[in-house]
Amino acid sequence: MMLARVADSLYWIGRYVERAEHMCRLADVLLNATLDRTESSGQVARMVISAAVSEGEATGDITPWDAALAMTMDSEDGDSVTAALARARENARQVRDQLTTETWERLNLIYLRVTGASANREFTDAPSQFLHDIIADLHLFKGAADATMSHGEGWGFLQLGVFIERAQLTGRLLQAGFGRSLGRPLTEHAAMTALLRMSCALEPYLRKHTADIQPRLIRQFLMFDEDFPRSLRFATARIEEHLSGVGRNVDLGGAAGPERLAGRLKARLLYADAETLTGEDSDVLVATVLEECARLHAGIYDTFVAYSLEMRLPA
Amino acid sequence: MMDPSGDVRPHYAALARRVASLSDEDLAERQRLLERFFLLQGITFTVYGAESSTERIIPTDLLPRIIPAAEWATIEAGLVQRLRALNMFLADIYSDQKILVDGVVPRELVLGAPSYRREMQNLFVPHQAYANVCGSDLIRKPDGGFAVLEDNLRVPSGVSYMLANREAAKRTFPGSFRMAGVRRIEQYPDLLLSTLRSMAADWRPNPQVVVLTPGVYNSAYFEHAYLARLMGVPLVEGRDLVTHDNMVYMRTTTGLRRVDVIYRRVDDDFIDPLTFRRDSSLGVAGLFNAYRGGNVVICNAPGTGVADDKAVYAYVPEIISYYLGEDAILPNIETFLCREPSQLSHVLANLDKLVVKAVGASGGYGMLVGPHASQAERERFAEALKADPDNYIAQPTIQLSTAPCLIDGAVDPRHVDLRPFILSGDKIRVTPGALTRVALKKGSLVVNSSQGGGSKDTWVLGEADAGESAP
Repeated sequence: MMLARVADSLYWIGRYVERAEHMCRLADVLLNATLDRTESSGQVARMVISAAVSEGEATGDITPWDAALAMTMDSEDGDSVTAALARARENARQVRDQLTTETWERLNLIYLRVTGASANREFTDAPSQFLHDIIADLHLFKGAADATMSHGEGWGFLQLGVFIERAQLTGRLLQAGFGRSLGRPLTEHAAMTALLRMSCALEPYLRKHTADIQPRLIRQFLMFDEDFPRSLRFATARIEEHLSGVGRNVDLGGAAGPERLAGRLKARLLYADAETLTGEDSDVLVATVLEECARLHAGIYDTFVAYSLEMRLPA
Repeated sequence: MMDPSGDVRPHYAALARRVASLSDEDLAERQRLLERFFLLQGITFTVYGAESSTERIIPTDLLPRIIPAAEWATIEAGLVQRLRALNMFLADIYSDQKILVDGVVPRELVLGAPSYRREMQNLFVPHQAYANVCGSDLIRKPDGGFAVLEDNLRVPSGVSYMLANREAAKRTFPGSFRMAGVRRIEQYPDLLLSTLRSMAADWRPNPQVVVLTPGVYNSAYFEHAYLARLMGVPLVEGRDLVTHDNMVYMRTTTGLRRVDVIYRRVDDDFIDPLTFRRDSSLGVAGLFNAYRGGNVVICNAPGTGVADDKAVYAYVPEIISYYLGEDAILPNIETFLCREPSQLSHVLANLDKLVVKAVGASGGYGMLVGPHASQAERERFAEALKADPDNYIAQPTIQLSTAPCLIDGAVDPRHVDLRPFILSGDKIRVTPGALTRVALKKGSLVVNSSQGGGSKDTWVLGEADAGESAP
């Protein structure tokens, strides 16, 4: 049993924390890859900016440094690291009674660090170190949550937020790296490793495919790898798993809930012809994943949080 | 800490030795650790500025205040007596009003008080426990005994600071703490939960208790979340609750779930827009009808404020002897009611010696501290007094007692008061501890946290040979 508002907040904590971690990696890779002025650095910059910036926003001739600064410190933009962490912490504060002290402390600590008076200076002095520390702290947060929270309903909503956000972020990264609509596909070796780094996939990829870095294999890995925690297949399988967990006790009176969407999405990735899929088919599949995630997001809200009272009045 | 001759009192001796053995840097380091503990826990209040808001911790003092066992026994007996009488008073004025008929308390004083709720008339309250949570403010008089300055029977706050201060003090002075034989206060959330459960109807075997908070922007939000977490019950906001057929439900992920007891931290005025203030969005429409129907219990009961009204306060000794036939164990502070013409003229003549308080106000607002005020301020207040005498009471300026505090790295005395917490349900329970509030500005007598006050841990010692330390 859990308050609907609490479930919603836990879900958003999951989303914002995942988003903050991803944006840290994007900003870090961007700053690293653009240290030298080569063709690959241009590719990376384009890729990061198209993965990080929502459609329709003017990008103009923004320098990599300004882009990284905005992605990290902009307190207005909901996609920046600072804003995402502030929102995660604000949600955590609203459900403070549902989090263990260990979990809360970790998140509160990160928040105090990124909003502290010296945060801007720390970023300017050593951006890589600053971003690296935030990622490490976020891992501590996830570890504390995993180790101290009950893995019940609240945990389910937290994880749903994490994996829906993750599937969308990986999907957008794939679009930025391989999407036909963007024109030039990735060619440079450095740009391809940068893509892997952005999804924290370089080392797992090397272990599976050795140093044979090819666009086709990267795409396959990020979409269909069974064990890599940021692949679309892995994320959608977790979404299905947690959704059937939290949905177990909901009586929808026969109507189809979001579990059906989640099950179908999982099956799409599980049974896709991964080895023979053409580039075009992959684009379509990624777009489908993004759409279905948006529908799942709305479905979860309608089913668990903002349901109509008439349907659920006590008999 | 010191007796009049300047020697350290015996119950402070161990702590004084420990503090003396620490260098200034050690003390400062401990103070830093303490503040970091509060910051990490999120025990903060938010200061809203023009462009951004910052979070600050409530100033907390490192050095505990110590109360010996014998002194506490008197305080405890006095608090139990007082709350018993006040609950009986509330049960009486919301039913037969015998005390008003007998002329012990003036009728218009009670029925005319803004905190009197005629909606509560003849409404059944289990165990006659109207004020389930009470936080009374005590001060130490010059003769050494304690007296009651104010009763808080509405939604008293501060208990989370009592518990958090204790947690912090155990980290900063573990050795002294162990040696002193301090009585436990950590059972407070358990006692609160069993008090709240005892208010539920008998036919609800497993009552669902919730804490109702105005939300995250309330300055006491930390406390609401803290208590909910330690009791293991949901922390709800008004928007989480719905009423249907005079039952109260909360919206959970799997549908509606019945609520039996609401520990509300929302003022009377805001709990139900249909019964009280219409513009409130903090409460639940229909809550009061469900309460009237006996389908939910609101704790503290609405309308308890009439018994901690500053004018009714003057009659508490009479209330105690009327219902219990006993003398008050804890005395009142001498109080002048400006509604009485003879007392008003005394107050006006002695404005420079008295503290004048508006009856309905709290938190240190709407008051005049005569000796510290300017002539112009006093004249302005005198006009207000003459215009609306019913609204004011006056008390002699009380020299609050002091306790040693760590100020800028040195130990210095500051004025303090004492707020213990008393629970009443099927029985009355006093937690052996209290929130000691400190006026951190030198010479200041205002201890409210909204006006530069802080707090410190309070150690109530067990009987030396009673084995209290091994519960």
